[in-house]
Amino acid sequence: MTSAELARRAPGSDRTSRLHGVRWLVAAAAIVALYVHAWRDTHVSPGEFVSSFPNLVRLVGEMFPPDWSVLHASVWAGVLTFDTALLGTTAAFVVALLLTPLAARNISPNRALYELSRAVIGFARTIPLWVSGLLFLVVVGPTPFAGVLALGVETIGVLPKLYAETVEEMDMGPVDALRVSGARRAQVFIHGVLPSVAPTFVGLVIYRMDSNVRSALILSAFGAGGIGFLLFNSIELFQWAQVSTELIVVFVLVLAVERVSILVRSRIT
Amino acid sequence: MRLIEPDGGEVTLCGVGLLGCGGEQLRAARRQAAMVFQQVLVVRRRTALENVAFGALGELPLRRSLSTRLFPAEIRARALDSLERVGLADLAAQRASTLSGGQAQRVAVARALCQRARVVLADEPVASLDPRAAESVLSLLADVAHNENLGVLVVLHQPELARRFADRLVGFLDGGISFDRAPTDVTDDEIETLYRNDDDER
Repeated sequence: MTSAELARRAPGSDRTSRLHGVRWLVAAAAIVALYVHAWRDTHVSPGEFVSSFPNLVRLVGEMFPPDWSVLHASVWAGVLTFDTALLGTTAAFVVALLLTPLAARNISPNRALYELSRAVIGFARTIPLWVSGLLFLVVVGPTPFAGVLALGVETIGVLPKLYAETVEEMDMGPVDALRVSGARRAQVFIHGVLPSVAPTFVGLVIYRMDSNVRSALILSAFGAGGIGFLLFNSIELFQWAQVSTELIVVFVLVLAVERVSILVRSRIT
Repeated sequence: MRLIEPDGGEVTLCGVGLLGCGGEQLRAARRQAAMVFQQVLVVRRRTALENVAFGALGELPLRRSLSTRLFPAEIRARALDSLERVGLADLAAQRASTLSGGQAQRVAVARALCQRARVVLADEPVASLDPRAAESVLSLLADVAHNENLGVLVVLHQPELARRFADRLVGFLDGGISFDRAPTDVTDDEIETLYRNDDDER
């Protein structure tokens, strides 16, 4: 190979850098096009926002003072939302404990059960929360129970997957030691696997509880009971003073659950 | 013990071929041999006593083993005996994660005793221990072999330790047995030969 050929192939040569520049331009143009489309698609209009600012001020003005007459009902609706999240999360937690020994590749008894359990988890994850919420409203009727079921399904799509991944990453040494002494699969799972992953499992389920309270808020707007439903009604009736009371309850509920969640997770050893 | 599947040949334990069996048969066969490993394999977030009792899991029905609290009193007593046997009865309630490497390996030996197996297989049980801990684990294994009516098979890479603690030395070279006799009848030259070509081969 001559020195001229070498120079042509070297990274800094004219030809390669020109090629590089063209590629760069194409990529930049594509990104700009993406943003322009998204901007037009969503009718983003800073001018509109600025000119409608007085509306926002008027709205916030009407929220004060909050209408405390709905406080009692709001608090209990908030508790109902919490209850919905609690039961949905707990149901999913139990299912997760049963699915994990099948869905973790390193302890799964066989390929078929592994694929089946992964399919169940994957299927649960593909259904949007509000869709399963509406479906369960039709199936079990307009009660918060529909919310419990929808949240349960939603969480079964996530929690067992995270659990199985935790198990797949754990140190298998002690697990093998129990297995080779002739312990049953279930015994190995209870005494060899669970102790090692318990702190992570508890941390994950509490984190899910935290986010499920927020999901339950959205779900309740669809009529599955709870504070979201009150908010939805108040907004539809332009009762802004009620809206502010309800928002305060939501605020306290979400923050309280989050604080407890952080506290518990920091205490797990 | 079928932790790793062999490429070929046969594995026989107390007269049972391990390769042909599965499920319940394999479980029953595995109970005949207790293992002590190269790494110290204990469940770190359980107590020393619980770890020892895990040796008996294979003989417990599921409903008595859902939690360590449900273990029969007989198993608890046996676990405590085993722990006493390895000199750690006073650490029974301590989490395994707080034990030193040597102590944890003795807990693993106690677990092997609690299993009531017919043989103990130890795969380089002192490889991850300091010399003093190694010493105590090996003399414990020798003691068990002499006094508990148990066959103890230990794989070691330290000829001087093997010489001191074993009743019978077997040298492996290139996949075959190069000698098999009492330690006093094995010459230094013979041991030398095992390690001459390749340090990693037994």
